[in-house]
Amino acid sequence: MLTFDQYLTPDTLEEALWLWRDAPEGTRLIAGATDILPWAREGRAGDVHLPALIDVTKIQELSGYTVEGGRVRLGANVVYQDFLTDETLRRLLPCMPFCSIWFADDQIREQATLAGNLVNASPAADGTPAVLVLNGSIELARLEDGVVERRTLPVAEFIQGPGRTLMERGEIVTAVTMDALDGYGGSFEKVGHRRSLVISVACVAAVVKTDASGRNFEDVRLGLGGVGPMAVRLTDIEERLKGQPISSELIREACASAADRVASRSRVAYRRRVVPGFVEAAIEDALAHAGAPYRGEHQREIINV
Amino acid sequence: MSDGMLRMTVNGRKVAKSAAGRYRLIDFLREELFLTGTKEGCGAGECGTCSVFVDGKLVKSCLMPASKAEGAVIETVEGLASGNDLTPVQRAFHKTGASQCGYCIPGMVMAATSTLRENPDADIEEIKERMGGNICRCTGYTKILEAVELARDILNGKAAPLALEPEPIGESFIGTNVRRIDAPSKVTGKLRYAGDMVFPNMLHMQVLRSPHAHARIVSIDTSAAEALEGVESIITAADVPGTDGFGVFVHDQPIMARDKVRYVGEGIAAVSAESEEIARKALSLIKVEYELLPAVFDAEEAMKEGAVVLHDYAPTNIVKHIPVRKGDIEKGFAEADLVFENTYTTQQVEHAYLEPEAGIGYVDHDGVVTVISPSQNITHHRHMLAGILDLPINKVRCIMSPVGGGFGGKEDMIYQGMLALAAMKTGRPVRLVYTREESITTTAKRHPSRVTLKMGIKNDGTITAVQFKMISDGGAYGMSTEGVMRKAAILSVGPYEYENLQVDTIGVYTNNTPSGAFRTFGGMQAQFATESHLDILAEKLGLDPFEIRRKNMMKAGSLTHTRQRLDTAAIGEVLDVAESFSRWEKGAPTSRGATRGDLGGPDTRQPCTLGARFRKPADNNKKQEVA
Repeated sequence: MLTFDQYLTPDTLEEALWLWRDAPEGTRLIAGATDILPWAREGRAGDVHLPALIDVTKIQELSGYTVEGGRVRLGANVVYQDFLTDETLRRLLPCMPFCSIWFADDQIREQATLAGNLVNASPAADGTPAVLVLNGSIELARLEDGVVERRTLPVAEFIQGPGRTLMERGEIVTAVTMDALDGYGGSFEKVGHRRSLVISVACVAAVVKTDASGRNFEDVRLGLGGVGPMAVRLTDIEERLKGQPISSELIREACASAADRVASRSRVAYRRRVVPGFVEAAIEDALAHAGAPYRGEHQREIINV
Repeated sequence: MSDGMLRMTVNGRKVAKSAAGRYRLIDFLREELFLTGTKEGCGAGECGTCSVFVDGKLVKSCLMPASKAEGAVIETVEGLASGNDLTPVQRAFHKTGASQCGYCIPGMVMAATSTLRENPDADIEEIKERMGGNICRCTGYTKILEAVELARDILNGKAAPLALEPEPIGESFIGTNVRRIDAPSKVTGKLRYAGDMVFPNMLHMQVLRSPHAHARIVSIDTSAAEALEGVESIITAADVPGTDGFGVFVHDQPIMARDKVRYVGEGIAAVSAESEEIARKALSLIKVEYELLPAVFDAEEAMKEGAVVLHDYAPTNIVKHIPVRKGDIEKGFAEADLVFENTYTTQQVEHAYLEPEAGIGYVDHDGVVTVISPSQNITHHRHMLAGILDLPINKVRCIMSPVGGGFGGKEDMIYQGMLALAAMKTGRPVRLVYTREESITTTAKRHPSRVTLKMGIKNDGTITAVQFKMISDGGAYGMSTEGVMRKAAILSVGPYEYENLQVDTIGVYTNNTPSGAFRTFGGMQAQFATESHLDILAEKLGLDPFEIRRKNMMKAGSLTHTRQRLDTAAIGEVLDVAESFSRWEKGAPTSRGATRGDLGGPDTRQPCTLGARFRKPADNNKKQEVA
């Protein structure tokens, strides 16, 4: 059971930063709140009493998104459901709709934010590998002598390990910025115990661009999550594929090494077995979504945008 | 804003209520507004029984602090239709028989309503995907999905409203769509389960549970907890006035741990307080001193000489052994062309009904101790309670509240004794509602089993002898174990006639969570072994699995292994229908090679894929081609 003395809903970032800076020890910042209530239950944190919750979702400047200079800047309050319903986001962030459809369910996606998912830094977070392939960065704000100061960090650096980030006391995430990848195909693969509402045993995000003929890889970006303390980019496989003619043999050969990225403490044998085929499937789905004529054998569950 | 006023518009009505600092939106709706159609099934966003609309978007109200909904427009299941009307979605749920226990149904109706609001033309794949956050344990979803498709067609004019009307009943009810008379109360959220009931001056109970699997209780100190403001009473085994002990066959389980604990999660003390929050705080103030004892977690280990003994009355740890004998198995094995032995194990299974255990106890004006709970066996509970409370039977009453899913799991008495005792001690109504975690960790489960099965068989498929031994983990208390062993022994080797047979089913005490009643009552574990064994034998002998069953099946006139002469037997017809409906390709299991033509097909359910909402109509063909 979660109990608290105060529930604060600042209207502006500055007000939130003041509250957050002066908040008593133990105060938590929340957006969707979909993780904190299940956390305060038996078997996890148990009954928890907090001095205050600071809810940032009423802050207008953290809402919505802008597109500028080849980057999409998502306000911290953008929820997962937006990646399914917003045409522009679906086009520019091609792996996000597929990541989103695997994330929780429609009801939780209406509340849960991408920023919150990144900040929690779970090794199994669905959002992290997807944001990594989009070269995502995280924007943080804090008060410095009463003035709002901001800094930006690549997500790959920001997340340090399970539950650990470079966020400092007093800082609030204001935005997540990512490459706008018009013309790419994207995909997301996930295995867990149930289709909805399940934590990844392994997940893969891919974005792929082909050349004009559709027969050669121009750009390939792969992110793997759930199989180690942090999600990782599979740069060796990306480099192996870039500029090459697309073929099943090449994809299979390149993906074999993905098994070596498994660094989890549990289910290692299973994960090693599932990961290479998974990465192959992600590449093949992304190719299909990019409109490439190639059809691979892994496309058992192809979903089309 | 703690304990300040919260303002929302709920079902079109402006409300302003004081909100305690712990309230989630679900608590605010249920506790302050008594809108109990919004149910709590898990409290962790997993099950969808609490789905409500907040500013037009469906969300899980157990994941939302009430303060987050300040100023919002809320729509609950009670607000979908006015008065006694039903919406087309609700009427469709009624028509297709989508509500069974009904506990998931308000949430399902909300999810269906949201699905059709988001996309009035959603196809079946999209419906499944959009409703993926809601769980049902009774229906297998088919009737629910049928209802959503029917409602969709009514709403977008593709089906006539007449399709929602009752169908005429001809000569037989079989094969006819018969209306469930309790459905309207379920699709509207009006039906009150035990945890939805509120009595004036009611106390809230919370239970202190053992963290140890096996330990002697040296002392229990409740003094600090009792001194806490708002705590009305704390009960332990010491408060039981009568003969403490319940169970379906052997009354070996005290209503709270007496002298020692035998499994993790066993109740030790129960606090009744003015609020759930105070009661939980009081639990943390109770001091229990334990002396740890060695524990046993495997049934076969528990049967060994010198194993830890759980109950003094059962020095061998055996709860019940059921032997069945027919013919001479040694002679039968000698006649066989092949003798094959194998071991089959099944695991512990949780019932996972959507309604966690809940109940209310009170003492009425005539001194009748009354317990309202979703008990599947109230008469038996009443008799046991009379003995435990040392009251004449006419001073004990058990009222069965709607059962939000039972599957056998609410047959065994588990918490009713604590409620009765607390009501007697306080003179006030006392309510206990389990959390999902409590329900999973402390209540009875399906018996884990280990079956060693040996069959002798002739080359033509005639079984000459069977030896079947099942060892079942009964957990810490007897509960329904004896009955489960009996049923497992009767059903053990299936609907087949054997000349020579030896069956032993043994239920054993261990320090695991107690095992109890669960659908099939032991039959499932036995059938898993027997039917798997027959398939393996068919493979070994190169026989068709249907033929090996037909060769040995019971017929009219057969003598069962418990010596019943059968007048009729339907297994032959069942096999014929199963063979034809499954499009079975005749032959031994090994005859098909890598490809099989009898899998899949139009009458099998396809797996749910995700992304249906992205699919453009033109993509459907492409999807087929790619798949």
